[in-house]
Amino acid sequence: MDLLQRFTHGEIDAFETLVRQFQGDIYAWIVRIVRDPGVAEDLTVETLWRVYRARHRFRPDGNFGAWARRIATNLAIDHLRRNRPEQSFPTEPAGVPQPDPLVQRETRERIQQAFRRLPAKLQVAATLALVEELPYEEIANSLGTSVGAVKLRVFRAVRILRKRLSQAGITPD
Amino acid sequence: MTEHDDRKIRDALKQSFPPVNTELRRDLCPDILRKFDARQVGVPWYDWALVGLSAVMFLAFPRLVLVFAYHL
Repeated sequence: MDLLQRFTHGEIDAFETLVRQFQGDIYAWIVRIVRDPGVAEDLTVETLWRVYRARHRFRPDGNFGAWARRIATNLAIDHLRRNRPEQSFPTEPAGVPQPDPLVQRETRERIQQAFRRLPAKLQVAATLALVEELPYEEIANSLGTSVGAVKLRVFRAVRILRKRLSQAGITPD
Repeated sequence: MTEHDDRKIRDALKQSFPPVNTELRRDLCPDILRKFDARQVGVPWYDWALVGLSAVMFLAFPRLVLVFAYHL
């Protein structure tokens, strides 16, 4: 019996082997989304625990890595949803020039803040596509959706972000 | 919305989020196995519900104890 079959039968040794093999990949994926190493470690542990609990739903001829990554993505989205900042930042007159590095840093922080207020699904798609610059197909597979849907989410994220930044008087250079 | 504005937003995002280190700093296996053990040892809620229901039934209908004992 191969490793994945043993895993679906609930063998702890097989599960442990899979954990050692995939924990790095799952962590790397989650940390790209949540951008916090401590949170990413916790979510990796939770992902692998859920992977074990859902072992009956996994087909041994399937792609274990892709399956685990989808579970990880859903957990990361839930995390972003739960930790979404509620308050918006105060608005300022538009078109203020920002040559000062301190002002630029503040601008970056406010862009981050505005970004974190986006709906979780849009945030994940935009992070992976625009910040991490991953291929749309890879993102779509991990989100369990189509390339078109990912592109639409990224488009909507940029549009909402642009509107909010404009309202707050932030003009990115 | 212009393509130029879009590009500016995309660039600003890229600058606002510095790259993260994607290397796992430690082995998470012990944490996962600990969680595994902790959850395995715990009694599920429906078992407790069954115990509670049985206790209520035995108090309300003491003769059920005999039926229960017979089926053991």
